[in-house]
Amino acid sequence: MKILLVDDEKKFVIMLSKRLALRGIDVDYAFTGEDAVKKALSNRYDVAVLDVKMPGIGGIELKRKLSGLDPGLKIIFLTGHGSENDFKVGAAEAVHYLAKPIQIEELVKILYEING
Amino acid sequence: MMVRLRAALKSIRPDFHHQTDEHLNPYFTFANYDKIWIIGILLLGLTALVPLIAVTILHYQLIQKSVDSELILRTERVASNARRAVTFFMEERLNALRFIVNEIEYAQLVDSLQLSEILRNLKLGFGGLSDLSVIAPSGFQVAYAGPFKLEGKNYSDQLWFIECRKHNFYVSEIFRGYRDVPHIIIAVKSYRKDGSFFILRATLETERLIQTLTAYETGKHADIFLISRSGIIQTPSKHYGSIFEKIDMPLPEYSPRTEALITTDDRKQSVITGYAFISTQIADTPFILMVIKQKGGMMDIWKELHFKINWFVGAGAMVILIVITLTCTFMVNKLFLADKAKAETLALVEQNNQLAAIGQLAAGVAHEINNPLALINETAGYIKDLFTITATYQKDDELMENIDSILEAVQRCGRITRQLLGFARKFDIKIQKIDVKDIVSDVLNFHNKEAAYRNITVNVEVPEGPLEIESDRGKLQQILLNLVNNAFQAVKEGCQLDICAKQEHPDTVTIIISDTGCGMPEENLPKIFEPFFTTKQSGKGTGLGLTITYGLVKKLHGEISVKSRVNEGTTFIITLPTRIEEGQNDNENSLSGR
Repeated sequence: MKILLVDDEKKFVIMLSKRLALRGIDVDYAFTGEDAVKKALSNRYDVAVLDVKMPGIGGIELKRKLSGLDPGLKIIFLTGHGSENDFKVGAAEAVHYLAKPIQIEELVKILYEING
Repeated sequence: MMVRLRAALKSIRPDFHHQTDEHLNPYFTFANYDKIWIIGILLLGLTALVPLIAVTILHYQLIQKSVDSELILRTERVASNARRAVTFFMEERLNALRFIVNEIEYAQLVDSLQLSEILRNLKLGFGGLSDLSVIAPSGFQVAYAGPFKLEGKNYSDQLWFIECRKHNFYVSEIFRGYRDVPHIIIAVKSYRKDGSFFILRATLETERLIQTLTAYETGKHADIFLISRSGIIQTPSKHYGSIFEKIDMPLPEYSPRTEALITTDDRKQSVITGYAFISTQIADTPFILMVIKQKGGMMDIWKELHFKINWFVGAGAMVILIVITLTCTFMVNKLFLADKAKAETLALVEQNNQLAAIGQLAAGVAHEINNPLALINETAGYIKDLFTITATYQKDDELMENIDSILEAVQRCGRITRQLLGFARKFDIKIQKIDVKDIVSDVLNFHNKEAAYRNITVNVEVPEGPLEIESDRGKLQQILLNLVNNAFQAVKEGCQLDICAKQEHPDTVTIIISDTGCGMPEENLPKIFEPFFTTKQSGKGTGLGLTITYGLVKKLHGEISVKSRVNEGTTFIITLPTRIEEGQNDNENSLSGR
């Protein structure tokens, strides 16, 4: 299973990717939407974990772009905001939606769930 | 009796008289409604009553003036008529004497028998003559006809004789003379063929004159009499002294015409005095005709009218004042109530704005904290992973404990920020049918164990049968959960918690949650729904629980109130509508953080 982590909080992305890697998950990460699109062009991912609010290309827009490149790509949204509106949009757009700070076990569980 | 009267007065007291909501004061347009009320009454009263009173006074003055001139005119007319009569009376008698001296020979006049015959004829013609005499130039009476024995009397030093000799005619004042009976002397001087003169003198009784005068007396307030030019009363007067007394008022100024004027008499009463100096064509007389009318008496009819007008104006003024007072009270009260409604809205808006601002702040803070929290979480998590997954330092329990406590703290912070965000969140309502009984037992299920463990008795009192409302299940659950949590935190072991739901009104359901816990001092009660207000130890409560509860109740179009006593317990009362109309939840809650 190969996943792509996208968040503008660099240290957060690095830490999370290291933790997932420790759990045997192949993780790639990007700090911006543009970077993520570039990475998606050259690699194939099973799941993309996206922050909803990012400078430049936001999570929702990025999800559309990535889905355009690979319709089979599954999406999990992360947000620091945790508001109901975000949840609604997120739930409509993606498979799953998690509020920061997240529980790594929950994320791992969901990753395995959506990948069958 | 007094108590009842006071209670009655209190019940009609307008609202603005007992303004109680001090906290609304800054929002009122006017500071003092009592003052507006009084100023209103005074202004309206003055503008209504001043013209009324002014017109009444002017009217009085006008009436007074016209009455005065009417009275003067009437008095003048009476005086004028009486003057003519008195003048005529004197003239007639003087002319009669003149006729006698011109017509009858001197020789016949001095014949007593002849003179008596003439006297008899005169008495027949005019009446009121008591005697007739002929006086020689020397002053000796040469002939006399009448009841007194006066022949041979010498009048040469008498005033009337001297005056008559000088002026040819003479009319005396009324006087008593030798005979001690009031009488008037009239005398006519005539010449004999030899050039010497003689005087024919007649004595007039005053009765005829008095009768002539009294004929002009009109009404009981009028007094009509003669005085001499020196002020001696000549004929009987009702009010101004007896005959031959000096009149006790200033003598009128000479005027050839009949005059009338308003003066005051000796008794300081207002009178209308008409007077005329009596003067015949033949001779002047010493008489002044006086007509004195008591003004007070004449004014009786006007006084009655005054009384009526005063009553009418007084009653009218009272009615005007009452109507003005009632209108003013009504208007000021309306103004006050409208203003109060406005003030309440303003206060509410301000409160909501405060809450909204705090909500925005909360959202911002929560969001900003979530990112570093996430980073701390992942970093600490990674360190933990390094120890657990790579199994290098697995055995270091102390380190594990520390990392776990960091992660736990992060979780706790996460809960707080989520709560903050929940407070800032736009509340969307999902309406469904809810049985209040079910939801209460759902909520209590969370606490069954704790209640048993802490020996807290929980009583639920819900009426038999379904008690259904249409509302948002999740929100209502959260409300009840928050309040029950609150109660559990407030009670000690062995205390009691009562939850009671009832429908007292077809449109509302009331849920009462009361505990027998520590309670709250009264001064805290108004603040407990404010954000970040807490009495718990720092770190134990966020101070948002009841604020969120308040927001949720409002969102469900309900009301929440609280009663509490220190060491006796606290009671929360929630009233919710049995149904929320579609579209009612569109008026977005100002608690929304975004």
